[in-house]
Amino acid sequence: MIMAPRLRKFSLAAHIALSVGWIGAVAGYIALDVAAATSRNAKTLRACYLAMELIAWYVIVPLALASLLTGLVMSLGTKWGLFRHYWVLISLLLTIIATVVLLVETQTISYFATIAADPATSSDDLQSLGSTLVHSVGGTVVLCVILVLNVYKPRGMTRYGWRKQHVRKPGPGHKEEL
Amino acid sequence: MGNRPSYPGTPRWVKVSGIIAIVLVVLVVIMLLTGHGPGRHTSSVDAGSQVVFSGVVDEHSPAEVRRG
Repeated sequence: MIMAPRLRKFSLAAHIALSVGWIGAVAGYIALDVAAATSRNAKTLRACYLAMELIAWYVIVPLALASLLTGLVMSLGTKWGLFRHYWVLISLLLTIIATVVLLVETQTISYFATIAADPATSSDDLQSLGSTLVHSVGGTVVLCVILVLNVYKPRGMTRYGWRKQHVRKPGPGHKEEL
Repeated sequence: MGNRPSYPGTPRWVKVSGIIAIVLVVLVVIMLLTGHGPGRHTSSVDAGSQVVFSGVVDEHSPAEVRRG
């Protein structure tokens, strides 16, 4: 089902805002993550772990889920489809993987925050917690790959897309939608 | 009619990306199996205690943690 132009533009604007917001939120998270990895100050460590949990649960996770949802709407509501073009399919897979890893990682983040919230936790114990930098930086790389795919839209149809395209030829008024 | 062009095949960029992805996955699996995986907490805090703390986590919503 192809969306009307106004609805499509609104959905596209929402999708861009949520997706770029996801990258921005992770960038803010990484700043805290770096501080958690390098600081030796107990107050700083406590503050970082608690803030990391709040950002993860209340900013990054909602943005990730909303971005995934609007991405599905955009692909299904336009001529691109979900399984017709490789760049859409790969973007979808990477987004799902990034979201699943994020949801698993929030358990670790909550674990850190629970320990950090306990006043009895010593400074040494806080330092031994470490960081989630590998995941947050790796996640940012994946999000940037998705961003590049969505901007450049490299050519290449799946076998399914090829079959669909040659079943129903586009009419003369057919235009690019994104 | 019925002269549908044949499928041109998977593009090169998809094949190259697939190979890179497979290599990365294999590297990550090797790192995890050899104990060089991410997460300093898994080595410095023993895994058993993390399981116990995970149980505590379930009882603490993020809002509750905020009071700390």
